[in-house]
Amino acid sequence: MERYAKQIRFAPIGEEGQRKLQQARVLIAGMGALGTHLANSLARAGVGYLKVIDRDFVELSNLQRQVLYDEEDVEEILPKAIAAQRKLEKINSSIVVEAEVVDISWANVQQHFEGIDLVVDGSDNFELRFLINDCAVKKKIPWIYGGITGSQGMAMVIRPFEGPCLRCIMPKAPTPGSMPTCDTAGVLGPTVQMVTAFQTAEAIKVLTGQDDKVCQGLLNIDLWTSRYEVFDLSKASRPQCPACGQGEFPFLEGREEIQVTPICGSNAVQINPVGEKKLNLQDIARRLASLGEISQNPYLLKFNADGQEMVLFMDGRAMLKGTQDSVKAKSFYSRYVGF
Amino acid sequence: MKILVKLFATFRDNRFVKQEMEFPDDTTVKEVLAVLAIPDEEVAILMVNGRNEEVDHPLKDGDTLSLFPPVGGG
Repeated sequence: MERYAKQIRFAPIGEEGQRKLQQARVLIAGMGALGTHLANSLARAGVGYLKVIDRDFVELSNLQRQVLYDEEDVEEILPKAIAAQRKLEKINSSIVVEAEVVDISWANVQQHFEGIDLVVDGSDNFELRFLINDCAVKKKIPWIYGGITGSQGMAMVIRPFEGPCLRCIMPKAPTPGSMPTCDTAGVLGPTVQMVTAFQTAEAIKVLTGQDDKVCQGLLNIDLWTSRYEVFDLSKASRPQCPACGQGEFPFLEGREEIQVTPICGSNAVQINPVGEKKLNLQDIARRLASLGEISQNPYLLKFNADGQEMVLFMDGRAMLKGTQDSVKAKSFYSRYVGF
Repeated sequence: MKILVKLFATFRDNRFVKQEMEFPDDTTVKEVLAVLAIPDEEVAILMVNGRNEEVDHPLKDGDTLSLFPPVGGG
């Protein structure tokens, strides 16, 4: 317990709280900027079991903000989950860290939630967050949303049936290309720390059973304009909410998942978002202008970056040349178009 | 009627943080969005008096309308 002396001295945690943390099992979904900071703090706080999941590998441009990785991981082209696991085991050898190099999808999410007390969001897209929300509500497991772009961040604790879930306040997933992503708007490093500081503090409250102290609002911050606020959500639970009100889980049933299909005979894939979409190609072109080569007509936009060519159509469909790998293609779409 | 409009994250760029605005009775959220030049599809969270509503929701005098874009990176 010496390792945790200062945390135990903090009266609301104490020895009892510390024991609860040691018995806790937490899933970290996504090991990018948010995920690495969350894992770092939760491992140091002594959460006894961490499952870290990510589909990607470590690249040089990650090191500015993804705290668990270093130049050796880049040279070794290590999957993020594996690099994170190695680092976390050095930070705290008394906890168990399990790593999975997979794309979390409707087909495997329930299995990943098995035996988990809390899920913390380290993802970079709303498709995954809506999937996490469906599964968390269905299994009555709390989860903590976090999102960042530029110097702005948002976060919220979701305790199914004890307060609003994500779909109480956001019934529909955002239209692809309707928002800036970390690749188009950039990220100011400390934004990550602030959002994950909130997520970690809330995680500790949830795991030590201090429900009355859990934040009941939506955190909104902008470090560049120095604005920090919590939007009241005490009236936000809705009986008409598709997830916690009506018990409908379309994301969990795979009905809302973006489809990626290889195009026969060529080194390319097609990405199909679900439902009818109308993208604002003008706005998307503006965001992508400084990140690669762009050409455009009223019907489509062609974008070249990282050795890949993407042709994006107004209905949200995209063709990605230079890969047959559906995970890689989805990751490219999520980084540059955003969903 | 008077509506208090609160904007969050990127919606504040070149607009405002919080402003009381005057509209004719029964103005819908969609009409307010048009005045603010915010495309409907860019609104992720739409709250009237702290509760989620649809864009065709008619507003009443004294309502507080809060609008958030999606903040989704990570």
